[in-house]
Amino acid sequence: MLFNSLSFVVFLVIVLALYYSKLFNWTNKKRMLLFASYIFYGLWNPPLVILLWISTMVDWIAGNKLTLEENQRKRKLWLLLSMFVNLGFLVFFKYRDFMLDNFTSVVNSYGYGYKAQPMDIILPMGISFYTFQTMSYTIDMYLKRTERAKTFLDFALYVTFFPQLVAGPIVRAQDLISQFYEEKKATINQFIWGLFLLTIGLFMKVVLADTLLSDTADTVFGSKDMLNGLDAWTGTLAFSGQIFFDFAGYSTCAIGISLMLGIILPDNFRYPYAAIGFSDLWRRWHISLSTWLRDYLYIPLGGNKHGIVRMYAALMITMLLGGLWHGAAWTFVIWGALHGIYLVVERMLKTKIHIKIGPYNGIVLALLTYTLVNFTWVFFRAREFSTAKNMIWSMLFMNTDGEKILYSSDIIKVFSVISILFICHWVMRNTSMKEVSLKTPSWILGVVWAIMFFLIAISQGSGEQFIYFQF
Amino acid sequence: MNLKQSLFIAVALSVISIVSWELYWRSQGKIPDLDDDKNLWAVQRAKVNHASETDVVLLGSSRVLFDIQLNEWEKETGTRPIQLASAGTSPLPMFHDIVNNTDFKGTVLVGVTPGLFFSTTYPEAGPWKRSQNRVDYFEDRTYAQRFNHWLSLPLQKNLVFVSTSEEGWSDDIDLKSLLYAIPSENRTGKPEYPPFKAFAYIEEDRNNPMSEKTATDTAFANSIKAAWKFVIMGNQQPPDRESTTSFFVADAKKFINRGGNLILVRCPSSGWIKQGEDKFLSRTEFWDPLVTATNAKSYYFEDYEQFKNLTCPEWSHLSAPDARYFTTELVKIMKADGTLSNSKSN
Repeated sequence: MLFNSLSFVVFLVIVLALYYSKLFNWTNKKRMLLFASYIFYGLWNPPLVILLWISTMVDWIAGNKLTLEENQRKRKLWLLLSMFVNLGFLVFFKYRDFMLDNFTSVVNSYGYGYKAQPMDIILPMGISFYTFQTMSYTIDMYLKRTERAKTFLDFALYVTFFPQLVAGPIVRAQDLISQFYEEKKATINQFIWGLFLLTIGLFMKVVLADTLLSDTADTVFGSKDMLNGLDAWTGTLAFSGQIFFDFAGYSTCAIGISLMLGIILPDNFRYPYAAIGFSDLWRRWHISLSTWLRDYLYIPLGGNKHGIVRMYAALMITMLLGGLWHGAAWTFVIWGALHGIYLVVERMLKTKIHIKIGPYNGIVLALLTYTLVNFTWVFFRAREFSTAKNMIWSMLFMNTDGEKILYSSDIIKVFSVISILFICHWVMRNTSMKEVSLKTPSWILGVVWAIMFFLIAISQGSGEQFIYFQF
Repeated sequence: MNLKQSLFIAVALSVISIVSWELYWRSQGKIPDLDDDKNLWAVQRAKVNHASETDVVLLGSSRVLFDIQLNEWEKETGTRPIQLASAGTSPLPMFHDIVNNTDFKGTVLVGVTPGLFFSTTYPEAGPWKRSQNRVDYFEDRTYAQRFNHWLSLPLQKNLVFVSTSEEGWSDDIDLKSLLYAIPSENRTGKPEYPPFKAFAYIEEDRNNPMSEKTATDTAFANSIKAAWKFVIMGNQQPPDRESTTSFFVADAKKFINRGGNLILVRCPSSGWIKQGEDKFLSRTEFWDPLVTATNAKSYYFEDYEQFKNLTCPEWSHLSAPDARYFTTELVKIMKADGTLSNSKSN
C-alpha cells in the first residue's frame, strides 16, 4: 500500500480509530498494529508476507538463543544462521539475476555459449530495509549491545511496523522495541505535528517529486540522443530533486504517521544538499542506512583504528556495498565507488588543507559538494553505462551540438525548484523543522499547510510508487 | 505557536480553496468524468474470465469504443457486451491474451482500424505497447490498486477537480497538465503537438459516447482533426501487413477451433482519414486478405446502405446518435445473418 493512495487514507483512519478506541488494551492494540502491518504489506502481494514471517521467526529464535547461549562458537553459529537467511533472501530475490548475468558473461567470454534461464522473480517490496533491520537486532544481540525483545509480539511489530516497513528509516531495536513496552498515546500536539509531517511528506512526493520533476528526469534519462549540456544538467538536477523529495518524503510520512500513534522514529534526512563535503553528506542523507553501514560494516572492517590504508579500504568497500544495496547493477556499484573516492579524497585533503568554514566559503563548498553529488546521480539513474557516459560528457559541455529535448519551461521549472531546494537546505542546515515552526506564527503555519494540502489535492497523482521501494 | 490554531486555519482554508476550485471548473463547463485508465479496463477484462458462451467481448481501437454503444447492443440482443476496445492500440495483444489466457468461447468482435491493426507486432511500438501494458496491468495489479480504484470511482463520478486522465489530454485540470498548458519557447526544433482535448465521456462499464461538443462545435472537431493529422503525418513507420495478419490469424484459428465466434468489423471513417486509409491501407490489400485468412464473419461499413452516409465529425469516430444508430443496425444485420447465434436473444 502506498502512502499516496486513497486506500492508505482509509487504512490509516481505521487504524487510528481502533488505536485510540477503548476497545483494546495495549497488548491488543499492538496485535492490531501487527495485523494492520501485515494487511498493509499483503495488499501488495499476499504470499510475500511469508518472507516477513520467516525473517521474524529466524531472528526471534536466534536472538533468544544468543541471550541464553554462552558458548562463543554456538553463538557465532546462531548469528551466521540469521545472516544466512536474511542475506540469502536478499541474494535470491535481488541479486540472483545480476549474478547469473555476470556469470554468463564471464563464461561466454571463454567461448562456452552458455544461455542462462532468467527466473523472472518478483522483488519483494522493502526487502533490503526489513532484512537490514532484523539483522541489526541479531548482530546487536550477538555483540550484547541490546536487550532481547520482551515478547514475540514486540519483536514481530518491530520487524513489521507499517510506517517504516518498506522504505525505512531502518530503526535499531533499542530505539523502537523499547517504545512498545508501555502504552503509547500521542499528545494532541504530537498528533497534529504528525499530521503536518504527513502532509509535508506527501507534498514532497506528490507535488515536488512526481508533478514537478519526474517527467523532466525521465525524458532526459530516457533519451538515446547525445544531449545538449543544459538539457543534461536539467535532467540530472531534476533527478537529484526527485530522489530527495521522493525518499525524504516517504521518511517524513513515516515519521509523521508514527508520531500520530505516539511512537517516535529517528530522522532520516537533515538537509543533505547543504552538506559541506561528503562525510557531512552521509551524516545528512539516508542517515539510518549510513549509520547501519558504519556500525555493521565500516567499523568491523577496521574503521579508522588500523591505519590510513585500511581505513581507505574499509571506506571503499563500505561504499561499494552500499551502492550494491541500492540495486543489482554495475551502475549502482559505480555510484558507490564515486562516493567512496570522494570520501577518500576528502579525508586526504583534510590532512593537508585546513579551511575554516564561514558563511561565504561554506555555501561555495556546499554548492561544490552538491555539484559533485550530481555526477554520482547520473550513474544511479541511468540504466545503462552508455546513457551515463553520454550524460557525463554532455554535463561537461563536451557535446557542443547535442540535442535539445526540453522546452524552456521545463528548464525554468527545474532550476527554480532546485534553487529553492538548495537555499532551503542551506538556511535549515543547522536547525530543524520543529525549531523553525516554533518560531513561526500559527496562522502562517496554517496557511502554508493549506497551500500544501491544496496542491496535493489538485495534483491528482496517479499513485506513483516511491523510488526506494525497489531497493 | 499554537498547533491547534494552525490545524483549524489549514482545514478551513483547504475546504474553501478546494470548493472554490471545484466551482471554478464547473463554471468553465467541466463535468465529473471517469478516466478511461488501466484500472477501468482491468475491471472489464476480469469479467471475461467468468464469461459464458452467450457473452460478447468487444476488442479494437477507439472506433469500436466510440461506435459500438452498449445500451443499444443490449437492447437488441439481451446481452451487455464487455467493452475492451482501447484508444490508440492494436487489438492483437488483447485478443492474444483472451485466446491464450482464458477459456472464453463466446463472441469476440474485433474492430479493424487499418492504421492500428496492421501497424506492427514490435513490442516497443506505441500501438502494441499501449495494448500490452493494459494486459500486463490486469495480470499484475495488486489488491491495493483494486481497492484504490474502487474508492476513486465515487469521487470521479461526483467531483470535477479529481478528473484527470492516463491519456494526458490537453484540457486536463490536474496540476501537471495545467503547468504543461503554459505557453513556452520550443527550443527542440521539432514541431509542437497540437492541443488534443478529450472528446468523449466514458461510463463505468466503458460505454463511451462522443461528447456533444465534438459533434456540434466545428472548431472543436477541427482541433481533433489537427491532432489526427499531426499523429498520422508524424508516423514514419510503414504498416506490417504480413506479421500482423499472421499473428492474428494464429490466434483467430485457435479461438474458432475451440468454438469461439469471431466477428471482424470495419467501422466508419470519413474525410482526410478515409482517403488516406483507402490509398495506403486499402481494403483489397489489407482487409480482404485478413478476412480470407481468418475465415471469420466480417462487416465492412461501406457494404451496407444504412452506413454509407454516416459521417464522422472528426473523421474517425461517430457522434453519439450515429453510434447508437450504427450499433442498432449492425446488430440487426448480424442477427439476420445468424452471426450472433450464441447470444441470449437467439
